[in-house]
Amino acid sequence: MTITTQERPQRWDEPFGSLMTDADVERLFKVPEISGIEENKFPSHCSLKGILKNDARIIKYSAGDIVIREGDYGNSAFLVLGGTLKVVLFPGLPADLLGRTTLKKKTFWQALKQLWGYRKFPEVRNAKKIEGEPLVREGQEPGIAQVFLQDVPTVLDQNKTASLGKGALFGELAALGRTPRTATIFAETGAELLEIRWQGLRELRKYDEGWRRIIDERYRKNALTAHLRATSIFSHLEDDELQKVSDATLFETYGQFDWHLTYNKLQNQDKISGSKDEPTIVRQGDYADGVLLVRGGFARVSVNRGNGQQTITYLGAGDFYGVDEIYRNWKGEANVGMRVTISAIGYTELLRVPSKIVEKHLFEEWGKQGKAERSTKKTYKSSRRLQDSIDRTLSDGALLEWAVSERLVNGTQAMLINLDSCVRCDDCVSACAAAHDGNPRFIRHGKTFENWMVANACMHCADPVCMIGCPTGAIHRSMSGGMVIINDDTCIGCETCANSCPYSNIRMVSINDNEGHLITDPQNQKPILKATKCDLCADQVTGPACVYACPQDALKRVNFQEIGFDEQTTGF
Amino acid sequence: MNKQQGFSLPRGWGYASLASLIFISTWAWAVRTENSLGISDFFTGWVLFFVIALLALFGARKRLPFLPLGPASRWLKIHVVGGFMAVFMFWLHTGEVWPSSFYGQLLTVLFYAISISGLIGLLMETVFPSQLTHTKMEVIYERIPKELAEIRNEVEALVEECTKKNASSVLAEHYLETLRWYFQRPRFFMSNIYGSEKPQHWVHQQCMILERFLNEKECKYLDKVYLLAEKKRKIDFHYALQKMLKTWLLIHIPLAGAVMVMVFWHLMVIQVFFV
Repeated sequence: MTITTQERPQRWDEPFGSLMTDADVERLFKVPEISGIEENKFPSHCSLKGILKNDARIIKYSAGDIVIREGDYGNSAFLVLGGTLKVVLFPGLPADLLGRTTLKKKTFWQALKQLWGYRKFPEVRNAKKIEGEPLVREGQEPGIAQVFLQDVPTVLDQNKTASLGKGALFGELAALGRTPRTATIFAETGAELLEIRWQGLRELRKYDEGWRRIIDERYRKNALTAHLRATSIFSHLEDDELQKVSDATLFETYGQFDWHLTYNKLQNQDKISGSKDEPTIVRQGDYADGVLLVRGGFARVSVNRGNGQQTITYLGAGDFYGVDEIYRNWKGEANVGMRVTISAIGYTELLRVPSKIVEKHLFEEWGKQGKAERSTKKTYKSSRRLQDSIDRTLSDGALLEWAVSERLVNGTQAMLINLDSCVRCDDCVSACAAAHDGNPRFIRHGKTFENWMVANACMHCADPVCMIGCPTGAIHRSMSGGMVIINDDTCIGCETCANSCPYSNIRMVSINDNEGHLITDPQNQKPILKATKCDLCADQVTGPACVYACPQDALKRVNFQEIGFDEQTTGF
Repeated sequence: MNKQQGFSLPRGWGYASLASLIFISTWAWAVRTENSLGISDFFTGWVLFFVIALLALFGARKRLPFLPLGPASRWLKIHVVGGFMAVFMFWLHTGEVWPSSFYGQLLTVLFYAISISGLIGLLMETVFPSQLTHTKMEVIYERIPKELAEIRNEVEALVEECTKKNASSVLAEHYLETLRWYFQRPRFFMSNIYGSEKPQHWVHQQCMILERFLNEKECKYLDKVYLLAEKKRKIDFHYALQKMLKTWLLIHIPLAGAVMVMVFWHLMVIQVFFV
């Protein structure tokens, strides 16, 4: 028998920048922000040199190149090595300059016009428009495209901007927090930047005190207080009280930031084994040492049942857990441990507010303000609700268990089909094709549980991992409806989004001219590809055509976070 | 999703109540007209015509999914309720179950045929989906030939391998004599429609009769063939039910066209010669 062997894959087998050399790394050690790092604090398996060579890359930008766009999801931060950048301040650049599309609903007559505006061939595009002046130029790294602003002086005239010079670090909060970029930054002059991917940034924060302090301080200053203020338990606190809570809050991350890249592979190999492999955040029975606030991603809440874990609910961004246990401890109840186990589904970013702080700034305040009784009742109610979930039968909780295991809870507009009503007529598919250039944007096929099917249609995820890494910002969240949409004009067909989608809901299609001929790249004769996916018929007067066309009322677009899992069959 | 609170009549029943009200009013009007020695046929005929036209409009609505003409589910409920109403309105209009004139008989045959096809379609659309769900597998109708071809190739490869590795041709012979027929194309169409267990028994029987002629190694191949035969049986079931769900419309819609043509002709004749 012959045995095939290969070297075990290592973390840095795929460096971030293929052009990084040892000389580049040496040069970086002369940059003050890097030279200040204590190299000996880094372990040998994760050396600073290794991080710089494999988790970072040097990118040169020409004047007018957009470095990051407001609203984009990115997985890297930038350190300015040379040149000047401009940050566009509120209200920011218009959508068209950012390579985005502004969707307008069709009028009745425009909708009617579709009847005779039908094209004979699917996915027809204006070939001349595609050949027109590109908004994108090839970057120095293979496969990296850079979008540029065509008239920088006008942009500077018409928008308020701030300058960023040598040594400035930006983009780190969005990269580590998996939140959208809050501003657009472009190169005013030719600029050289060090781009550090999130893995490298995480290690720098972990092993270097200086970088940790900078990142944490920025987070506390820019985002933490706002997050705490938006959380119901802390919303009533005075500014100074809130500041004290903010100062004591700890940041934690669990799981893999880029879980979506491996999820598909593991799923195909049937290696997704549920809660067993998920990083544990707290274990049932542990002492409750703080309130956990989910800042990004999802966390599974489960209880021990037999030899396994029964999922009772899940937490998404903005949810919190632990107040009840801490409150009961504070009231003097004996042996109150965590009633549940919490584990990271894919990737979870948490804030932990220590128990002492919660007791001092929350419970004592409740007592002083005479809110104790009301708050106790409130806490009792949420505790009762949790107990009801724990008491749920295995069969009642099966749907939730399935949705969490399949990570469908990420969906805010998942296409849920009741197979007991669906007559398989495909009117939904035909309607979708009619509304989208003759090519449906979903497949009436997907994961099933009992009589429910979640079809392969974009779910417009709460955590849209498909948006990470789009080089032109073509895939973005609509400002108006919040749905994830693709601007066909700026999509360069790089397939990043399609490869990133863990649910395989983005499809690459070749495009045709009016005569039905394939539009190809003149340089290599390969077909031009475009990413397509469900856009919830954002421009149609009817809303999603699939829902509107279903004669059996079997198809709904649902937000998994809003489904009452207690009510069997989701209340259809 | 919250359950609806407060009193609300389910939409289907709302439409049924409205249809009943229209029918009773038309009937009362017809009786009143007849009692005052008038002719009620014109009035009931026009009401029937509008009901039939409304039923036919559902087909047009399906072809215009992007126009805000109301959700298709609402149209279907109206179509079903309107269909039942049309039958009663037809009897009210003709005053008999079977007319005496040739044209009347022809129109009646078509009208009954479309009504019965609609009723059968409704029955199938109510019963078949959950039966399909119970197979615990989903297959898109258009992909069935591809799925069957894949299963067939897999089975033939297994049979070939079994023959080569075990130097025994029993499984191969049985495949060529009996099982090939089964794997060639969808089978047991009517049995699947009636929900009979005949296909299941056949597959089980044809695989089990081989057992005593095979050794342990060959039995492992037979087990795999059996699993594939079971998968194919489920696909056959999908094929039969989905085909029925799709093809009943191929009867219903042309009949609807024929009825509409005859109704228009009937209307023209009445308008020209009797009004």
